Amino acid sequence: MIERTLKDYEAVAGEIAISQLRQLAQSLKGARVVHVNSTRVGGGVAEILDWMLPLMQDLGLDARWEVIEGYDTFFEVTKTFHNAMQGNPSILTQSMIDVYEKNNEENAERLRPILEEADFVFIHDPQPAILLDLCPNRRGKWVWRCHIDSSRPVRKVWKYLESKVQNYDASIFSMKDFAQPLPHAQFLIAPSIDPLSQKNCDLDQQEIDTVMAKYGIPDEVPVLTQVSRYDRFKDPLGVIEAFKTLNQTIPAELVLAGGGATDDPEGQMVLEEVRDASSGYPNIHVLLLPSDAHRTINALQRGSAIVIQKSIQEGFGLTVTEALWKERPVIGGNVGGIRLQVHDYYTGFLVNTPEGAALRMRELLRNPYSLQRMGTTGKQFVRENFLLTRHLREYLTLMLSLERGITNYVLTESSEN
Amino acid sequence: MEQHDIHQDNQSFGVKDCTIIRRMGGVDSAFNLRELRERLRNCPIECLYYHFCETLITPTFDDPEFRNDFALWAAQKMRDLALAERLGILNPYSFDDFEDMRERIIEIIDERLSDMQYIPSVVRGDEFMFMQAATVVFDTGIELYTPQDLIKRLPEMSTSSIYYHFLEARRRTTDRVDDFTFWMQFQENKPEEIIQALAQVDFYFLSLPELKQALIDSLEGLQ
Repeated sequence: MIERTLKDYEAVAGEIAISQLRQLAQSLKGARVVHVNSTRVGGGVAEILDWMLPLMQDLGLDARWEVIEGYDTFFEVTKTFHNAMQGNPSILTQSMIDVYEKNNEENAERLRPILEEADFVFIHDPQPAILLDLCPNRRGKWVWRCHIDSSRPVRKVWKYLESKVQNYDASIFSMKDFAQPLPHAQFLIAPSIDPLSQKNCDLDQQEIDTVMAKYGIPDEVPVLTQVSRYDRFKDPLGVIEAFKTLNQTIPAELVLAGGGATDDPEGQMVLEEVRDASSGYPNIHVLLLPSDAHRTINALQRGSAIVIQKSIQEGFGLTVTEALWKERPVIGGNVGGIRLQVHDYYTGFLVNTPEGAALRMRELLRNPYSLQRMGTTGKQFVRENFLLTRHLREYLTLMLSLERGITNYVLTESSEN
Repeated sequence: MEQHDIHQDNQSFGVKDCTIIRRMGGVDSAFNLRELRERLRNCPIECLYYHFCETLITPTFDDPEFRNDFALWAAQKMRDLALAERLGILNPYSFDDFEDMRERIIEIIDERLSDMQYIPSVVRGDEFMFMQAATVVFDTGIELYTPQDLIKRLPEMSTSSIYYHFLEARRRTTDRVDDFTFWMQFQENKPEEIIQALAQVDFYFLSLPELKQALIDSLEGLQ
């Protein structure tokens, strides 16, 4: 875990934002907060928890992060949950439910004392969602945090999950479009990025050049990059198709850079399909990066003229936020949280097809002034809305709201005096 | 909402700040104007407050063309600019009671519905989703002792502080004035010029950064 303090963020987020966090956290000092997810590395959730924990601790909260363990079969089942929540046709059998429940029961044996004593428990995504049922003597407030685009889930799978999450005190979704009807308050918190992390901090040009050279990416022509897991919902094959169309008129390089996550067994299959589709195209670079290659990804994004995120389903799309922070326009799929971040002609373009992506790639590469203008606008947009300080503030606000009983108006103790 | 007296005594003014967290309004979404009317009739009053007032402190890409979410939806999703304009001119702070505003909105929609040959619907993804928010109020540690302190320290206040004391206060206080004015009324030498300057700021159509700047500008040079 990275050890940074709030003081480190003053220069980038502003003194007022940091001061707000400190004042807000006064009433929560000493509160025992536990986050539970299913992987410590890889994916947006692990990245968020990586910065959130030390900052909550810096604010005086007794925060900890627990990870559930499981065999491959468990993660295959939870991948089915994940896909089904995103609307991908999936079948949930009784034996899959048995694997899911048994695995969580084993984890509950280990985690129960910590979870039942906590003041606030945040359970991230479906993998550990059943833990609430397995902690009958819980005393704190339990919140289910859904990071997935769950706007159109497979009903049968959702029906099962719904029975596991309906007894939580509240749930959090990234966007209002993702929220499902539940018998408790459904809060909305958009994710964020850490501007000082290895993935987002400033890099000098020499380091960027070194990384590009290491992967054999020439600097004579513009580079377009998509950073994402090898996942069908990220549509890497659509990106390749768009790039091939672009390449008929403009010479360029395409980088597809993805890592694996321990809870994503489907990735290898998609990676093979991507390699097949790019075979015979030396200007398409398919990179499989280790989960800790944050600085490399940073350099690849900064070494690119345009960043692509042509997802056909997306949660929030933190890679979009990262690219905007680096002043790179984004061509993004017209789905999920990408719609919150990519605004046509301001921060990039939303597209629906590989043809649309090819069209916008060409338009941007022909207009260097637009590239620069959109880059500047994008960074300011992220600074105002999607930095971790806003994210942390909303978690604190949620905790205070839950602690006092969910009402529309809460005064903290010092304000009441 | 109950009234909160934030003034600990008649001399000093403790500057507060607030944050909000959004949540679903607990009302079905509306895909057309008739559904919007029905939902508006029954939605919690907090939903109206959110969509007219609190929406100002939620993240947006740029300054929207209208200051309330109903007008924005009418313009951007329904493509009904006439309705958007009629809803957009409503100033929530001019109503004594939000229930009165609810009636006025429904009246405007009824008028529009009576003009329509058919009721168009929006596609999924463009529906109006009702929201509400929880507000948490906390101390900033800034204490004002004189009206001059207000002039001096306004630039260091957050935009959410400005929202809380200058806008939200109008919902909290019975005489519907901002907290600064309310406080200064109790000063021994009532600073009429400053109170007058604050009263003249046309706040409702400004974004919060614009409002903060307008307040700073209006008080500049006053004693």
